[in-house]
Amino acid sequence: MFVITCPYCGARDQTEFAYAHEAHIARPTDPESMSDADWAEFVFMRKNTKGIYAERWMHAAGCRKFFNALRNTATDEFLAVYRIGEPMPEVSAEGPATPCGEQPGSGNDAVKIMADDSGGGGR
Amino acid sequence: MADPRRRSPLAHRAPLTAEGGTLTIAERPLLGRLVLRVDADKGDAAVATVIGAGLPKAVAETALSEAATIFWLSPDEWMIVTAAEAEERLAADLGAALAGIHHQIAVVSDYYTAIEIAGARARDLLSKLTTLDMHARAFKPGEARAGIFAKANGVLFQRVADDAGGGPAFDLAVRWSMADYLWCVVAEAGHEWGLPVEHPVAGEPLFH
Ligand SMILES: [Zn+2]
Repeated sequence: MFVITCPYCGARDQTEFAYAHEAHIARPTDPESMSDADWAEFVFMRKNTKGIYAERWMHAAGCRKFFNALRNTATDEFLAVYRIGEPMPEVSAEGPATPCGEQPGSGNDAVKIMADDSGGGGR
Repeated sequence: MADPRRRSPLAHRAPLTAEGGTLTIAERPLLGRLVLRVDADKGDAAVATVIGAGLPKAVAETALSEAATIFWLSPDEWMIVTAAEAEERLAADLGAALAGIHHQIAVVSDYYTAIEIAGARARDLLSKLTTLDMHARAFKPGEARAGIFAKANGVLFQRVADDAGGGPAFDLAVRWSMADYLWCVVAEAGHEWGLPVEHPVAGEPLFH
């Protein structure tokens, strides 16, 4: 269970929040002229980063405002929250490494972060 | 003039008192309630002319006057609680004062009721139902917060201070359809301090 800090209400339990997926995806201004492939890209395709991920949350049981958060998806650590319209803060996901020097997270070899590929993706 | 057919959501529940008096629960029925949405800076002065108190600006803050109590719900949304049957007049006065300012006023009196939870064990009881911090250091008299209580959404307001005789008193505003459920859950939570068990009622007619 997380404690999530709402930018308006402060620290609250995760059960009060709704998840609203990747942040900073601009709605197309001219959807009529888009190809099906571009539309599918907008509707369905998400980065699903392992590591720092910018995502939207909504404080459903409190102020019911959407806000953005930067979360390390490997550790579930919330690195920053910021209001809609505010610039994304600079954060570092440098977490404590495991004894063998890896970033913490899944033990599944297929999804481990490579040293030169901290933005996600697998082996 | 009040409609004689008006019936509160917990009209079938009598107040409960624990042996020794460390807990009491009772409905505070039919209070007038409005939900106001407006830009906080633009609407503040107009609201103050009608209610005699300005809009609270941050989480948990409330504003109190003889006319009403204002709860902060979000940066642009407030719940205004007033006496029974006073809400239509208040809504009209607020609408007139806010003319020309983009706003919305909804009368929600029949959408909510409030359960008063009072006594020395009130904080302990509430701590069993919510993840809000109910320590006296964290939830202070005059504050109000929206949250989850058991499985119901509600707005909790501390109306009476802890050092008042008889301990603190909280008003838990809950939606009509969840009121009987929450009443029974509150009674169950207080059972260890002597509140009697209440059984849920099914098939209650909503209108008579
Ligand atoms: Zn919030």
